[in-house]
Amino acid sequence: MANIYKPELMEVIAVRQQTVDVKSVSLRFLDPERAAAFSFQVGQFGIFSVFGYGESTFNICSSSNWKDRIEFCFRKVGRVTEGMWKVEVGDVVGFRGPYGNGYPWDVWKGHDLIFLGGGIAMPPIRCAVWYALENRADFGEITVVYGARTVGDLVYVDELAEWAKHERVRVVTCVDPGGETPDWKGDIGFVPTVFERAQVSSKDPVVLVIGPPIMIKNTMPVLQKMAIRPASVYTSLENRMKCGVGKCGRCNVGSHYVCKEGPVLTMEHLQQLPMDY
Amino acid sequence: MSELITETRLRQLAGEWLDGGKRVVGPVRIKDRVLYQPLQSPESLLIESNPGGVRPANSIKEFFFPKQETLYQYRIRGRNIELIEPAQEFTEQLVVGARPCDAAALPILDHVFNWDFVDDFYNRRRAVTTIVTVACSATDEACFCTSVGLAPDDTRGSDAILLALGSGRYEVRCITDKGRALFPGKTETSTESAKAAPPPEAKFDPGKVRAFVDAHFEDPIWAEHGRTCMACGVCAFSCPTCHCFDIVDAGPTAGNARVRTWDTCQFPIFTQHASGHNPRALQPARQRQRILHKFSIYPEKFGEILCTGCGNCVRNCPVGLGVLNMLTEIQHGQHL
Repeated sequence: MANIYKPELMEVIAVRQQTVDVKSVSLRFLDPERAAAFSFQVGQFGIFSVFGYGESTFNICSSSNWKDRIEFCFRKVGRVTEGMWKVEVGDVVGFRGPYGNGYPWDVWKGHDLIFLGGGIAMPPIRCAVWYALENRADFGEITVVYGARTVGDLVYVDELAEWAKHERVRVVTCVDPGGETPDWKGDIGFVPTVFERAQVSSKDPVVLVIGPPIMIKNTMPVLQKMAIRPASVYTSLENRMKCGVGKCGRCNVGSHYVCKEGPVLTMEHLQQLPMDY
Repeated sequence: MSELITETRLRQLAGEWLDGGKRVVGPVRIKDRVLYQPLQSPESLLIESNPGGVRPANSIKEFFFPKQETLYQYRIRGRNIELIEPAQEFTEQLVVGARPCDAAALPILDHVFNWDFVDDFYNRRRAVTTIVTVACSATDEACFCTSVGLAPDDTRGSDAILLALGSGRYEVRCITDKGRALFPGKTETSTESAKAAPPPEAKFDPGKVRAFVDAHFEDPIWAEHGRTCMACGVCAFSCPTCHCFDIVDAGPTAGNARVRTWDTCQFPIFTQHASGHNPRALQPARQRQRILHKFSIYPEKFGEILCTGCGNCVRNCPVGLGVLNMLTEIQHGQHL
């Protein structure tokens, strides 16, 4: 019997603590044939599981060019992520996927890219930034604006610094007012404000904005001022899921099933959907 | 000419299936309620007469999509994990005495359980099941099959349908090969022909309902019903078409298994994000989701209404809600 709910087994090959409550994990398929055959599109997600705790949905936050592993990143907030927090190198976890659509790279090709991320929304941006850098000739200027509540909540800090070394890449990091430390060199303010202050000039860019609903909402007027059409602005929805395959009935926004028809969609599309996310 | 079967012969048929180690499901009286249950003996089957009401209080969906089912087990030995497929037998089963509004739910559910990803648990149970429906000989004020395009003698999803002739005799109409395979030697030819109950009057127009819900995502009607609803989920659990589920880990005491359980959009945690944000934070949004899913989203996706008009949500609701009440309000325009 083909069992669509049964995960594949993967070995943990690296664990990194990103913040006080966020870790990133690298995985490799136990089955070498599967490892060789596996491919996905950057922007897709997986359902990751720790046996004895359960399954949770996360973006595959590595680039699809990294053939030796996949990565995901999580914040410890509930039962399953409590279990994931205990996972060490050499442990075996479960993976189902890849599910959903990915970023439409063929549409993005030839454009400047603006990435706007807040807090734990960095992983689905991180994979896109790496993928863009690995295909550098396909894209124009790359801007990354990333903010978190406090300095201690920023994830992938070393990678942000590495991206900034690339040509035609600008990285702006910020923390919410009050979240700065005495030696903080980055910006202070919320992502939409900091982005506006950054005065990014770009003709017909593609924007990927991922973060809490309030951040996305406040970013839209800034983009509008820059005459960027909602059709060029993308986001990735993060609704609660169980099955990942269009059956369990909870991730829909109106008639749009995030697991099958998302998680990536344009703001133009999102604005047509009811406020159900 | 028609084929006729007696109640005695029907019980004999059920008995033969039970003796063959197969499962037979039918309406059974349990205290003051009638429920679809696996039969222990053919005598317990309530084929038609149903003094507790016009139909059982549950639906037959649990025999295709159980309340709980093991998706797989896992064995943890140090760092080694072994996944074990469930020891599912998918025993051949016969459902006798299903109402047309139960059987009709199955072809509707086939869409979602086969939407690109094929759910073999559901499909295998569908394949091993034969459904003998009994046409309704009575309807009540909660019945609304007519409003969703069905009828008391609808044959959708049935392999055979029985129509009461009185005195423990039924006209048999076979619909599929599975149905035809059941009755050889058990029926007799007759000139009598049976009739089901007159269809309940149409109480709303699903097209009008869909137009309303598509245009009124924000509307006072949701809040009014949401305030009354106590989020118990009985509407969904007793619904022949509600199919939402959760996937959870049952720990060592329950056999180290990953288990699928029924769930409902009426529960607050159903859509709650890890961050605490909840797209459907209050009950009105959850009542709206149930109506939208049935009368707009499912029709848009699969071309069918996710409701058979059985009325279980109306009869079982402890606070007098249910799909019908909301839809008749919409139909009569109090909220337009």
